[in-house]
Amino acid sequence: MADFNINVRGVGSVDVIDLHGYLDAHTAPDLENAFNRLINDGKYKVVVNFDHLKYISSAGLGVFMAYVETMRDNKGDIKFSNMKENVYNIFDLLGFPMLYEFFEKEHEAVNKFTD
Amino acid sequence: MLNTGTNSAMAEFSALVDFSKLINSSLDLSLSLNNILLTSLSKFHTTRGLIALTDKNSQLIVKASKGFTPQLLEQFPKVSIHQCSDHEAFAAFMQNTRTVVCREISFSGENRGVIILGSRLGGNEYTNSDLEFLDTLLNLGASAIENSLNFEEMKRLNKDLDTRINQLSSLFDLGKEFSGILEVSTVTRLLTFSIIGQLLVSKYAIITFGQDGYNVLDTKIQADLLENWLGRIKPEDITEPLSLDSAGIDLPEKVELVIPMQIKGETKGIILLGKRINGKEFSRTDIEFAYSVGSLAIISIENSRLFQEALEKQRLEKDLEIARNIQQNLLPKKLPRMKKFEIASYNKSARQVGGDYFDVIKLDSARTLIAIADVSGKGVQAALLMANLQAFLKSMCKKFGEISEATGLINDLVTENIIIGSFITFFWGILDEENSTFTYVNAGHNPPLLLREGTITKLKLGGMILGIIPTMAPYALETVELKPGDALLLFTDGVTEAMSAGGVEYSDERLEELLINYSPNSTSSELIEKIKSDIELFTRGAVQSDDITMLAMKAL
Repeated sequence: MADFNINVRGVGSVDVIDLHGYLDAHTAPDLENAFNRLINDGKYKVVVNFDHLKYISSAGLGVFMAYVETMRDNKGDIKFSNMKENVYNIFDLLGFPMLYEFFEKEHEAVNKFTD
Repeated sequence: MLNTGTNSAMAEFSALVDFSKLINSSLDLSLSLNNILLTSLSKFHTTRGLIALTDKNSQLIVKASKGFTPQLLEQFPKVSIHQCSDHEAFAAFMQNTRTVVCREISFSGENRGVIILGSRLGGNEYTNSDLEFLDTLLNLGASAIENSLNFEEMKRLNKDLDTRINQLSSLFDLGKEFSGILEVSTVTRLLTFSIIGQLLVSKYAIITFGQDGYNVLDTKIQADLLENWLGRIKPEDITEPLSLDSAGIDLPEKVELVIPMQIKGETKGIILLGKRINGKEFSRTDIEFAYSVGSLAIISIENSRLFQEALEKQRLEKDLEIARNIQQNLLPKKLPRMKKFEIASYNKSARQVGGDYFDVIKLDSARTLIAIADVSGKGVQAALLMANLQAFLKSMCKKFGEISEATGLINDLVTENIIIGSFITFFWGILDEENSTFTYVNAGHNPPLLLREGTITKLKLGGMILGIIPTMAPYALETVELKPGDALLLFTDGVTEAMSAGGVEYSDERLEELLINYSPNSTSSELIEKIKSDIELFTRGAVQSDDITMLAMKAL
């Protein structure tokens, strides 16, 4: 079974989700749980750091689709950072760049919330 | 010395060389078109120009422009390249935009577009040599445009291929995941994520069809619109992906696509999809993707349902087994012996355990309690109620002088503890060997039959069935004398209602007739054996539908 784990940490008023390993149909529910916990805690400003993510499938992408509306309805957002080229290509292929903001570095994404 | 004519020819030549170098060094279509336009604008001193190229249907589409407002560009007519030279709308557009030159751009031996340029500043007309220069420019530019177009087409094909590969890997990913036994909610979530992630939709619904109609597993579509629509459609009407353009289909508002989820060609569910967020149409491969994911998911959902059913069935069987054990343990294993009476019993449970109960309890040296009951309902619930009844009965029978009073109390206890709608038919009595009497109370049970010298008496006296309402009026009791040779038969409705293969009941009449013809010399076990074999004969080939219990007694 492919490895996947999630770490959520606070950076000021923003929460950063670190993704490690393989995000596919099998591991998508873990990410879903992470988002549910953030929403329960009233935290809507989220940066997802993809630095250690090796692979993402469309089920993984679907999780971002499923939660972005809630975040935006509550004056927050989901922003992406530190994406490797192979992972970005999948986002690009499916047209995500017109719907989400992508940043090279995590702090740029975090600053976008606080500016 | 060079004259000015030669100078300007040299300048034109070097401009063309620069242009050619630049334009052929790039595969970017807009860069190439921009270069052609900017070179033309600077050469001819005009402020506006546009290039339109043909699409698949030879229609002209503006690809680059300078100096046109968006409003002006919108007026560009929908014309085919073959018509533009003498098309009225085209001439009108040129007049409105004060453009005066229109030259064709051709490559691969075909006209593939036009360049349109505005009038020259200062009012000079375009000279023949100007137009020759423009044609040379376009000839040089044409191959660059062609290369760029081919490159774009290749990029598009590559992207299509990447999308297809991505969809296939998603399918593979889901296929792996769905192959296990999953909860329906898990399958639904994965299906939803894959579809909204892959196709970029935010309005969707996932519906399954079962025997009890439809079941909305997940939806982001207004509930009343959806239910209204679902009320009107039949699963068998949706056998292939249907879009808004499909003939003869109306879709709920904001839904653009309906994808059936099929097992062996039968539609077991549907996926409704709204507009894509990126504004693109659903392509054939998108639809194929949704259809494939849906098919994987519905098989997984069906497996999950079958698995749950099997579990439920297993649980029920277990439940029945427990009930059967409880029931069997409540029945006496051995009947007490009496001096003046001889007694025999028979009990056979149906597969679906009912609630027949009987007991024979020695109270003291002279008196023996006999009871028979039928608890309504089945399974563990009936068995537990029966256990309650036995507990009440055993604790009560030794304390109370009169069983009529005890019956009233048992009824109150049962009524308090019973689930609404359940009840117990109950008959009990005390055999007294000293006085040769039988004192009984019948609480709604099939009347036991007392046989004396070929005549049957039914023991009916008593009162209400147990468990319906608290005791209002006291139960009646009756004492009958028993003479040697008298026989008494207690039974449950499993005997008289035993069903033949043809659906006919065994009946009270048949039982009574058999009893009357029963030889006074045979024992009570012989009587039971005789009734049993007669029932077996009568019900041959049918499944036993209810418990059968008999208790026979003979005065010696």
